[in-house]
Amino acid sequence: MRYVTKKHLSRRTVLRGAGAAIALPFLESMIPAGVRTASAAGAPRARFASVYIPHGCVMSRWVPSTTGEDFELRPILKPLEPYRDRLNVVSGLKLPAAYVGESSAAANHGRSSQCWITCAPQGTGPSPTSADQVAARHIGQETPLPSLELALEPGASISYLTPQTPLPMETNPRVVFERLLGDGSTPEERAARQRQLSSLLDSVTDQVAALRRELPTADRERMDRYLSDVRELERRLSLAADSALATIEVPDKPNGIPADFEEHARLMFDLLVLAWQADLTRIATFMVSRELSNRVYPKSGVTEGFHNASHHSEIPANIDRLAKLNEYHTRTTIAYLLEKLASTPDGDGSLLDHSMIVYGSGMANPNQHDHNPLPILLAGGGAGRLRGGRHIRAAEDMPFANLLVSVLAKLDVPIESFGDSTGALEV
Amino acid sequence: MNRPWLLAALCVTVIGGSGAFLYRGLRSPSSTNTNPRWDVLDEYCADCHNNDDLAGGFSFSALARADFGANAETWEAAVRKLRTAFMPPKGEPRPERAVLDATAGWLEHELDAVWARAPTPGTKSLARLNRTEYANAVRDLLDYEPGAIAASLPADPTVGGFDNIAAALEVSPTLLEGYALAAMQISRRAVGDRSMGHSEVRYGAAGGSAQEGHIEGLPLGTRGGISVEHIFPLDAEYELAVQAVLPSAGWANPTGQLVWCDGPSVDAAFNGAPITLDERRRIRMRVPAGPQRITAALVDDRRCAGANELYLGEIDVGGAILGLTIDGPYHATGVGGTPSRRAIFVCTPESTADEPACAERILTRLATRAYRHPVRSDGDELRRLMDFYRLGREEGGDFEVGIQYALSRLLVDPHFLYRFENPPEDVADGAVYRIGDLELASRLSFFLWSSIPDEELLALAAADRLHEPEALAAQVERMLADTRAQRLVENFAGQWLKLRELPDFPSQDRAFDDALRDAFHNETELFFADVLRERRSVLTLLDADFTYLNERLATHYGIEGVYGSFMRRVSLPADSPRRGLLGHGSILTTTSAPNRTSPVVRGQWIVENLLGAHVPSPPPGAAADLAKEATPTTKLVGNTVRERLEMHRANPNCAACHALMDPVGLALENFDLVGRWREHEDGHAIDARTQLTDGTELASPTDLRRALLSRSSAFVTALTERLMTYALGRELDYRDAPAVRSIIRAADPHGMTLPALIQAIVASDSFQKRVK
Repeated sequence: MRYVTKKHLSRRTVLRGAGAAIALPFLESMIPAGVRTASAAGAPRARFASVYIPHGCVMSRWVPSTTGEDFELRPILKPLEPYRDRLNVVSGLKLPAAYVGESSAAANHGRSSQCWITCAPQGTGPSPTSADQVAARHIGQETPLPSLELALEPGASISYLTPQTPLPMETNPRVVFERLLGDGSTPEERAARQRQLSSLLDSVTDQVAALRRELPTADRERMDRYLSDVRELERRLSLAADSALATIEVPDKPNGIPADFEEHARLMFDLLVLAWQADLTRIATFMVSRELSNRVYPKSGVTEGFHNASHHSEIPANIDRLAKLNEYHTRTTIAYLLEKLASTPDGDGSLLDHSMIVYGSGMANPNQHDHNPLPILLAGGGAGRLRGGRHIRAAEDMPFANLLVSVLAKLDVPIESFGDSTGALEV
Repeated sequence: MNRPWLLAALCVTVIGGSGAFLYRGLRSPSSTNTNPRWDVLDEYCADCHNNDDLAGGFSFSALARADFGANAETWEAAVRKLRTAFMPPKGEPRPERAVLDATAGWLEHELDAVWARAPTPGTKSLARLNRTEYANAVRDLLDYEPGAIAASLPADPTVGGFDNIAAALEVSPTLLEGYALAAMQISRRAVGDRSMGHSEVRYGAAGGSAQEGHIEGLPLGTRGGISVEHIFPLDAEYELAVQAVLPSAGWANPTGQLVWCDGPSVDAAFNGAPITLDERRRIRMRVPAGPQRITAALVDDRRCAGANELYLGEIDVGGAILGLTIDGPYHATGVGGTPSRRAIFVCTPESTADEPACAERILTRLATRAYRHPVRSDGDELRRLMDFYRLGREEGGDFEVGIQYALSRLLVDPHFLYRFENPPEDVADGAVYRIGDLELASRLSFFLWSSIPDEELLALAAADRLHEPEALAAQVERMLADTRAQRLVENFAGQWLKLRELPDFPSQDRAFDDALRDAFHNETELFFADVLRERRSVLTLLDADFTYLNERLATHYGIEGVYGSFMRRVSLPADSPRRGLLGHGSILTTTSAPNRTSPVVRGQWIVENLLGAHVPSPPPGAAADLAKEATPTTKLVGNTVRERLEMHRANPNCAACHALMDPVGLALENFDLVGRWREHEDGHAIDARTQLTDGTELASPTDLRRALLSRSSAFVTALTERLMTYALGRELDYRDAPAVRSIIRAADPHGMTLPALIQAIVASDSFQKRVK
């Protein structure tokens, strides 16, 4: 009954069913035939996502007992069996930066996520700081959005533009949708609104440039940041205006954040995949939850809050409980993302073939607030540059940054070191 | 000991008490006798805080005795320890309470004297409007409710307990994009956007037991349901649908509004006119533009005529309303006469030639309010808006699109989004100066209303009269009496007392449904608003002989004789555990874990937020210690939370700080994880007996309440610090302590009420001055 056009299914129609299972294949149907995809531009481009889970995990049920290609997935990773060929379990890595700073439990938790892909002590490091932003600096300028930051809970970020500037992570699918696809119901309307937006930004740029001269020094710095943000927005707009997106028939927006965790997760991963598919961005960060979150996952069968459950006191029943939550997260987040990527065609293969996803935590055993050895996965084909199906055990105490050096190299980011790396972990 | 001095100080305390006001301490000694009280420090403190032991990292013997200013940070920390009675530690010799208070008073006097020689208002960064302030400003400026649009802006960071701390309010491309998109959407909707596509808005009804009883504000004789004020953007058709699970269904219209009821008849009405629903509980109808209240509720069969009250409990109340969706606009016929159009279009051009003059009039008026200063008719500010007016006039082909474009420009203007405070040129760098009246007007309105000033405040400021003490005090009174002062309750109390955490708090208790959640929230908010409005002593917050309850909450608390959904004031007897904030379900719940109470979290929250103490972080290795001791051979898993907490006492590493927090939390163990009274936990009797650092024995929440009252000066200081942090939009540090004390002294003669503290803050140099 409710089609915005004959070609494209209304987003709302799908969402209204509220069935999470049917809510999601919609995204392909919303992309018109003419949309620019990465593959259209020639050789497939590798995409890169870092997906964070807080509170570490039960390592004994994550790390396979043997290394190399002949290994068995442990219970927490069992849901990933179908993508085994595109999967590397990387064990034995350490996050040295997370040990630096105030010793309180809260600070320690905070650093687990804050230092995860910055690999530098909190508040330090070069700019851009986190691995995704380093990648965005090199390969993000070709797309309308340099990077996309998504989360299922507000209040934290793993993506740092500078040591002091975390990029806010968006939890609302409606807002992400608007950012990706724009606002307006006809091409003419969208074009008029883009023109209005460009004029607004031009005008504000001129004004701020004049205004800053009258301000005290401290305020002037603030206005400078405001100004550079305006310019970044203008750049995005001009790229977006050139892209095939201008011809997309935009359906109605999602209504907001679903109450159900699994539905929310699927919706957000779908938007991530859409952004990659339409080449709106090639870089993404994603937080499944934030450190210290005491969220309860009713469908996991565990009634304890997440953070409380992570303090298992080495009691067997409590360890079982945390492992159950860890497995639930694998099943409802990364497994869904890999499935979605594997089933999305991209050039001569799938999006999974052309991406690299780092999934894991900056904490190891949460009961000890330890950061060694971390639970880390590296998935995807890296556009022909990453093999899968292996359990790679790093040398003892090797920094996680060494893995990120290799990942960044595969994205053609010309760096020799990253954060506290001591070399590269060849994968 | 210098006893005559001590007696003098005590006399001041007693005589200074006004009426039933229980506040003690913090007054400067009336005597100028500053004969140092070093003997108290030497006798009771220096045993540990000396050059050899360096307890807590400092030594009293190392501090210069002649110059308090040189070590003000350390001395302020000492004052705090004494005022909260957390030092000397438990088990060490301690003098009488009066001696400690007198020592603290003497230190404060010395510190204040140092400060008075060179008072500084502190430094504040350039503030951006936070999400709440932005939404309020739009509402006050345009009479348009931007709720959903503003809610899609990125959340603001919370620092020091509040989300209006200027230094933390940075921008990012994402935020800026959010502002720009919001500006375009709001301006289109507020003016009326004929071209807008339809979209669906979904409202969820309260779940759980809320659907079984009457909901406050809904028609009498109904139960459950939902009532929303929806802004219909255009004169157009809309599709309204009710999601419900119902055994049998029908419509009725007892109030003239749309009401969904279960019953045999199928009738409905909108504003009195009959309408017909389809089989899917939908209706499509024409609705005029503007805000309309839409209500859907179930007829309460149990209250039907003829039902005997005796059998009420036996009547099945199956079915529930789940939510309401409103989809549209379709087939729009016009923009209608909405409140926002009335607020914007103060003139209508008679002809094309009239248009520019009318646009200038509209935009000058809006810009003056939005930018919080007069806008010149020949200045750049108006020119920029008129440029956008002409752009839109050309693009859209009519006057109104021009106004819409100009409005979108106004809403992204740095002068709207930022609160600039430019120093006068004739002030030297680093000098302290009084801010201008227009800047003062903004500080005042963002403090009390979380929004832009109104026309009266701006007019007074523009006439340079706002800073006159009488005029200023009168404006504070006027603003507190205004309905917008409710935002102070929502934003200050909502954050200080953690009410904002309630909607998402994941408590797993079965009783904790939406109805209880709302009642918790409303109780604490109404209570705080009452203390503010009725000018009660702030100590009422700790020990009120009343609270606000409805039937659901009263039942939860075990209080009889309260019927219906309406929250009303209820008196509490002297021995009621519900007296004051410590008995509020809201705080007791948000300081619990989702599945059990947490005396540590409760204790920490009270110690930090009601007593103003800083609880240090666990020392290195604390967590590892806990894990180590948790091997199966030690007893970590006790029968009660209390037994498990013995761990902290067994380990000296933990005991140092947990000795402050745990007893405070343990005294509240009779309140369960959602604040219900309990005598047992899992079959074991609750044992709330505990001892504070100063030896005060506690065995119940009432004892704890009295102990807090006996530390009233610490409570008043803590509250004032929170209020000042919120008012100034910056975090306080030890350098602000003398200003806090002087504000408290200024408020004291007026009964230590919230309005008195607010007046004293507004009158203070911290509020009215800044450093260039």
